[in-house]
Amino acid sequence: MMEEAAVSAAAAPPKAASGLRGVWAFVRASWLNALAVTIVTIVVLLAVFGPFLLGSKGNTADFANILQGPSASHWMGTDNVGRDLFARVVAGARISLTSAAVIVLLAAPFGCLLGILAGMVGGWVDEVLMRFTDLFFAFPAFVLAAAIAATLGPSLQHTILAVAIVYWPWYARLARSQVLTLREREFVLAARVSGSSTTGIVARHMVRNVLPIVAIQMSADAGNAILSISALSFLGLGAQPPTPEWGTMMAGAQDYLQTAWWFLTFPGLTLTFTVLGFNLLGDGLRDWIDPRLRGVLRGGRV
Amino acid sequence: MGRLVLRRLVFVLFVVWGVTLITFFLSRVVPGDPARLIAGPRASAAALAHIRATYGLDEPLAQQYLRYMSDLLHGNLGISFMTRRPVTQDLRTYFPATIELTVLALILGVVPAILAAMLAARRRASGVDQTVELTAVAGVSIPAFWLALLLQYLVGVKLGWLPITGRLAAGATPPPRLTGMYTVDGLLTGHLSTSVSAFEHMVLPAIALAAGVYGLMTRIVRASLLEVTGEDYVRTAEAKGLSRSRVMLRHILRNAMLPAVTILGLEFGVLAGGVFVVEYIFAFPGIGQYAFNAFAASDYNAIMGVTLLVAIMYTLTNLVVDLIYLYLDPRIRYA
Amino acid sequence: MTGEPLLSVQDLVVRFDTPQGEVHAVNGVSLDVGAGETVGLVGESGSGKSVTSLAVMGLLPAPAGRVASGRIAFDGNDLIGLPERDLRKLRGKDVSMVFQDPMSSLNPVITIGEQVTEILRAHEQVSKADARTRAADLLRRVGIPNAAEQLGRFPHQFSGGMRQRVMIAMALALHPRLLIADEPTTALDVTIQAQVLELLVALTTDLETALLLISHDLGIMARVARRIAVMYAGFVMETAPTTELFAAPRHPYTVGLLNSVPAIDDRGKELRPIEGAPPDLEEAPVGCPFAPRCAWRVEACWTTMPPLRPVSAGPDASGVDHSAACHNPVRADEVRGAAPLRPGFVPAPPPSAPASATTEAPA
Repeated sequence: MMEEAAVSAAAAPPKAASGLRGVWAFVRASWLNALAVTIVTIVVLLAVFGPFLLGSKGNTADFANILQGPSASHWMGTDNVGRDLFARVVAGARISLTSAAVIVLLAAPFGCLLGILAGMVGGWVDEVLMRFTDLFFAFPAFVLAAAIAATLGPSLQHTILAVAIVYWPWYARLARSQVLTLREREFVLAARVSGSSTTGIVARHMVRNVLPIVAIQMSADAGNAILSISALSFLGLGAQPPTPEWGTMMAGAQDYLQTAWWFLTFPGLTLTFTVLGFNLLGDGLRDWIDPRLRGVLRGGRV
Repeated sequence: MGRLVLRRLVFVLFVVWGVTLITFFLSRVVPGDPARLIAGPRASAAALAHIRATYGLDEPLAQQYLRYMSDLLHGNLGISFMTRRPVTQDLRTYFPATIELTVLALILGVVPAILAAMLAARRRASGVDQTVELTAVAGVSIPAFWLALLLQYLVGVKLGWLPITGRLAAGATPPPRLTGMYTVDGLLTGHLSTSVSAFEHMVLPAIALAAGVYGLMTRIVRASLLEVTGEDYVRTAEAKGLSRSRVMLRHILRNAMLPAVTILGLEFGVLAGGVFVVEYIFAFPGIGQYAFNAFAASDYNAIMGVTLLVAIMYTLTNLVVDLIYLYLDPRIRYA
Repeated sequence: MTGEPLLSVQDLVVRFDTPQGEVHAVNGVSLDVGAGETVGLVGESGSGKSVTSLAVMGLLPAPAGRVASGRIAFDGNDLIGLPERDLRKLRGKDVSMVFQDPMSSLNPVITIGEQVTEILRAHEQVSKADARTRAADLLRRVGIPNAAEQLGRFPHQFSGGMRQRVMIAMALALHPRLLIADEPTTALDVTIQAQVLELLVALTTDLETALLLISHDLGIMARVARRIAVMYAGFVMETAPTTELFAAPRHPYTVGLLNSVPAIDDRGKELRPIEGAPPDLEEAPVGCPFAPRCAWRVEACWTTMPPLRPVSAGPDASGVDHSAACHNPVRADEVRGAAPLRPGFVPAPPPSAPASATTEAPA
């Protein structure tokens, strides 16, 4: 109820920040932004290049060196079968980032398309869609994702699908609100008076108005998606060992907390920082483009 | 406004019905054979067949659903395979635990959030403000399960300040049941030490849950405070020479909390997800742990029961929150 | 005027610190209000009149707004250095304020009754019941029917005029010595404006409360104020007894203002606005801010802000001065034509170096 009003209030076209100069201005605007960009850049670089540089260090068991603390040869120590933890954490970064990307790239287009459809066509199509999304909103998101993942069978792919399924309704709602508000705006009415079709007008203005908000939501969701995947994997519903997913690793590390604190701590720290970076980035982008959007977009975590 | 409430209630019913449908069919798809789970791995075919007949597991799905719905309307949620008790009884036992825990988590999250937001709003755009912002984002970014494990280890084991599992110390007797919430019942029936013990057992899991609540709430309240403080009526209040505390409490906070109330619904969603994991880690016998075990055991009835409960509670909570908001804002109440 | 005035503002300077730089909202305002007197403060938007009133009340939005220099004395006591605690005791009790927009100036979620009683209970020891009775009385006094019932209602249930009456009731509840009314009727329907204004005047007269009335509307001033101060770009340009201001204005800006308001029998004649636009307040003023638009300007006007000094032979019958801040005041015969009538007089051109490039403080 409240969300509708809030989302339509934010329908004005946001200010565009262009190019590399825009990025620099963004970073300079606040140290939080700078922090966000730093963290995200580091993580992305690690994820992309790390595995190449580290090779199979993370997969080689070394039973002579199990549960060693951090040292010069093993920056983050070793796990319970002697694998280098740092290499595994870096590999985990790649897993998390790609998973998040897939989730967001699945949920957003699908959700937006349905939302736009509902907003444009209206009538019973709209009604049906709204009731359908309401069903999804009736569940706390994480519980729903867990249920779906459990149903499909534990695996990373299934958790990705589960989280995507939980995320798309929000995009549908967001896109639909934007379309509805657009339809009522004066310039649409003016254009209609001059003969253009509503569909044509809305389609043209859609990109300018909907895309930025959706993009911001996507970046905000990226962080939460990583959290969800990890949490589900921790519960055993996601990536299975020996896949070096952060949550999976931490599940295995629980028992060794007393003897090998690094085993639990480093993946957790990395996870926290990564999500922090993405969340800060999402916030910074939202404030940068249109501070009025505060409170409109889904924040917090799944 | 009465019409509005009615519409929303109808909506809740519709949602609940949809939930039963989806969960029913979903739960039947969960891998695992409950009959075998009940009977044990070495049961004979005859025993399995007998169990299936008793629980109606051999009937066609649609018929099972109808039977389930009719039972439901009579308040019968079936028997849990794993506990051998009626699901309703299980829920009555475990749900209050989760309620206690979530209420504590809410308090531990919301109170610091309001204080932090007040601090940040007062020194807008300063280092203090941005640091508060950072803590808020951190609260939302830290994985609840990781925080739970760390707390369990550092505070519970290393420092030994607080217990790390269960609702009460092993072997302790719960207080006489009034609400099912040990802290409350303990206080009401004079078993103070039990109440305190129950409280101690909730602190660590509640903190793990509160981080997310804090993160979400702080930013909303801060934005709201900034908006309200700039309003003309606050200036009028100052011009009347009212005391600082009166201006803050009656004029600023009273208005600033309105948008925060709408977020409460979201908070419950965050909490519900967190409870699932946190109860598991702390072996806290609430709905979250019950659900987890039910899923692991393919306990259809328990799964259905928990899911229904969660969905109903969540939808009702959102409804209540919306109603509270409507009530608090006289502009809508006396339109 | 005998003795020290009730409110004395001397050379007030107010600045706002914004991300875009400093805003020079008030640049040197001197103003007096005597006990029981009604003084009008007139000026267009951005002239600094509202900011002046907020500064008097100590209500400048902190931390951006601050009094950079000057003195504000109420009843002989300096207000500027006064600790917040003491200011709160004064506000609402000795000095109170009525704002422009009654809808946004009242708390939407608290009843009218509570908003009136809270000012009573903040300054005096009254029981809730007594406060309610007094509140009802106050509402009646400002002309709100069914006062006792209205106590339990909310601002959005009242009309604009009613809300402003409530504001007035709250402001006068404790019989303050001074009431500052900032554009009290501007946001109201034209038909209601006169009623509310009359109410304001009647009550302040009855209670012997001094009234500082702020407005851009000269018409209101003419009816209500005994003395008027004209502000422009953060300075007081002219102060005079009302009749004299209208009959014989001495400052070119005042002349322009008076001539720009069409009279009812000016039908068919062209409007005569003042050429140009007010200066950008982000720039520190150099010289007289009206100079670029002034037909009477002389060389000194570009470099030095003239002080506010008497321009008539002496105080009028009741002892009120007519003062203007002008190097080259308007002569009596020049008022109607709104232009100097001195042969060979040409308004001094700007100095060769652009005035705004220098950073000297105004004299």
